[in-house]
Amino acid sequence: MAATNSTHDGAAPIVAHHFNNILQQQSSVRFGMWLFLATEVLFFGGVFCAYTVYRRWFPLDFEAASTALNPMIAGINSFLLLTSSFTATLAIRAAYTGNQGRLKAMLAATIVLGVAFLGFKSFEYYQDFEEGLVPSAQVANPDPLHHHARGMDSQFAHNLQHVLEHKKYYKDGAHLEDVNLDRCRLFFVFYYGMTGLHVIHMIVGIGLFIWQYILASRGFFVPKERFVYVEVLALYWHFVELVWIFLLPLLYMTGHHSFSDL
Amino acid sequence: MSATATLELDYTPQCVPPISNEPDPTAENYLNHSHTWLSWLLTVDHKRIGIMYLVAVTTFFVFGGLAAMLVRINLLTPTGAILELDQYNKAFTAHGTIMLFLFLIPVVPGVLGNFFVPIMIGAKDMAFPKLNLASFYVYAFGAVFFIVALLTGGLDTGWTFYPPYSSKYSHTNVLLAGTGVFILGFSSILTGLNIIATVHKMRCPGMSWGRMPLFVWAMYATSVIQVLATPVLAITVTMLAVERIFGVGIFDPTLQGDPILFQHMFWYYSHPAVYIMLLPGMGVINEVLTCFSRKNIFGYAAVAWSTIGIAVVGYLVWGHHMFLSGQGVYLGMLFSILTMLVAVPSAIKVFNWTATLYGGTLTFQAPMLYALGFIALFTIGGLTGIYLGVMGTDIHLHDTYFVIAHFHFTMVGGMMFGWQAGLHFWWPKMTGKMYSDFWSRLAAVTTLVGFSLTFLPQFVLGFSGMPRRYPYYPPEFQMFNILSTAGASIQGIGYLMPVFYLTASLFFGKNAGPNPWRATGLEWQTASPPPMHNFDELPHVTCGPYEYALPSSFQLVEASHNPDHPGGDHPHLVTAGDPHGRH
Repeated sequence: MAATNSTHDGAAPIVAHHFNNILQQQSSVRFGMWLFLATEVLFFGGVFCAYTVYRRWFPLDFEAASTALNPMIAGINSFLLLTSSFTATLAIRAAYTGNQGRLKAMLAATIVLGVAFLGFKSFEYYQDFEEGLVPSAQVANPDPLHHHARGMDSQFAHNLQHVLEHKKYYKDGAHLEDVNLDRCRLFFVFYYGMTGLHVIHMIVGIGLFIWQYILASRGFFVPKERFVYVEVLALYWHFVELVWIFLLPLLYMTGHHSFSDL
Repeated sequence: MSATATLELDYTPQCVPPISNEPDPTAENYLNHSHTWLSWLLTVDHKRIGIMYLVAVTTFFVFGGLAAMLVRINLLTPTGAILELDQYNKAFTAHGTIMLFLFLIPVVPGVLGNFFVPIMIGAKDMAFPKLNLASFYVYAFGAVFFIVALLTGGLDTGWTFYPPYSSKYSHTNVLLAGTGVFILGFSSILTGLNIIATVHKMRCPGMSWGRMPLFVWAMYATSVIQVLATPVLAITVTMLAVERIFGVGIFDPTLQGDPILFQHMFWYYSHPAVYIMLLPGMGVINEVLTCFSRKNIFGYAAVAWSTIGIAVVGYLVWGHHMFLSGQGVYLGMLFSILTMLVAVPSAIKVFNWTATLYGGTLTFQAPMLYALGFIALFTIGGLTGIYLGVMGTDIHLHDTYFVIAHFHFTMVGGMMFGWQAGLHFWWPKMTGKMYSDFWSRLAAVTTLVGFSLTFLPQFVLGFSGMPRRYPYYPPEFQMFNILSTAGASIQGIGYLMPVFYLTASLFFGKNAGPNPWRATGLEWQTASPPPMHNFDELPHVTCGPYEYALPSSFQLVEASHNPDHPGGDHPHLVTAGDPHGRH
């Protein structure tokens, strides 16, 4: 392997000093990423576990709270993210075959799709914020004479009731009276927490893709052995996408949605 | 191989020889190839990173020990000798958090794991050297948060961070400390990830899984726990932080949350974490016992698999911390039964160590004394753990000094003694210098006496009903508390002594030579201190790590240092563990 152990510009060697050959290095890099993803599964696993506990305890409240979310944006985002996973996979293939132009194009496509996801996501957060769906304990109306009949007093509960009435939550047999609107805060804590964690992971991923795009422009991937770095970044990206595949049903598809609300 | 051809095959077991002064190491090694500050701070050499961890964890151990002394001094009188109530809470929290997060978890993986896992499997470095350096700095960064939290007002939650102590009712630096735990967790994850990848991918030719030293097995099992349990702690403290910052109720019952859920998630990490702290110590014991009894380990496969067994079963027992905190009775019974199961692999280890000692040619240098202390204290610690794992007795013993004594018997008597054994065993390899035989033996005995005096009375206190974390106690408990504090002082002296004689050995110690203990492990087949890339040429391993029963591995190393023998030929290097010099 000594023959391949130099780049075209004679810079950093392809095989690092502590590896015996390129195969050992490639399989170590791959193995390291899988291990890292295992830790990520446990990391997200903790919050999924907490979500599951509360969802099981308060199914009606979670259903009602989920209804207030916007499944349309989530659907568009799912399409964008799945497509970006596809382009990431094509980038591996391009690096493996040594097609530098296609590699850069595919990395760029992945970046653009990821950024588009974040754009839609920001818009969704903005909408939620406008509707007042922020799980704070702020009191809406301190005056006891104006208390709602059921004793709701948090601003959040007030806002959520408004959104649910607007979406005609009660029309297919569900009763708003069965729902503890204050408890729906818990759902929104998980909504912001889980999507927030996912967004942080996406930002990191996009940053790494940009870095690899810069590397690709500088000819770092000209020695084909280095395709493994694209491969492990794509692995990470697939993982981030996989988390979204779980978030979509847990957060958005729990509620009652109809086409007329979209 | 002319040197080996003349060897006579002598099967008489040989003692560890008396310490002699070896010639100065002339070759360039990892310590002397460069001396600038930056060459240390930016190094990616696993050996230098191990030394940096050594300095850091020793410092934190001193601070954690001082906090412990504050607690012990305060308990001298029934109404608290020196501290206010909130100061007392902060002192024991500082002791617990520093010792667990900043010392016990990183100590052996960070120092001995970093330094010796690659050498023991014949690799040039860790699989990811830069990540290794990063994990040290992540550790340092997390430690800064911790130190700031403790210095600017302290922390009074206990090391467990249970809400509502840590959420609604705490006015101390829970957020800062929580951030510290989160960051330290990532350091632990990265170290574990690196060690797993190294063991899987970097073993030299001939180093099969069945030929790996048992220390490497232990580090592997530890790393699996680090990688699979620590992220859960990270997400748990994140949720705690979200709860505190935004005032939402994930764990707060008045806001529809559930504090028991925090306890489940916390112990899902923190119970396996005690095995992160214990397993490396067990791994060290295998290396030391075999060397100082000049025997192969009794039941290599049983010891290796019991390590994995502890790691696996350790995941399934977290509920035994919560028998009295509101979890279901039947769930408690299940956890109780699973807890009993941990005793099986632990006992396998103790029995195998005893069988290894049986009929061996024992010598009692400092590492061996610490290792024997480990076996005695860990056995007591493990057996008292069964009292606590049985639901009936736990209702009586829960949250008493019995728990404190049990925990310290396993963590200090286990891990601290294991760490000292390992440090003393490998110090000559790490530095090339031999420390004082007399002082090191004295330190081992002092620590053992001090330790027993500290914690044996606490079993009695706990059984009589003295609760943990209380600054006040009935006057009839005072005698036992005074005994315990006296023991803690002796123990403190026992821990301080190594700081002095090990440091002194760097300047005045005899040269240790490559293999002062005449051990058979691969790490002893290279120079002391090891060269930059550990071995001058790629080692090939042909037999197991503990072949003390084979003849003349002692003589072979002697022969290879014969000045008549040209330096280019390293029979011990290419045939590590194979004293016959076969290829």
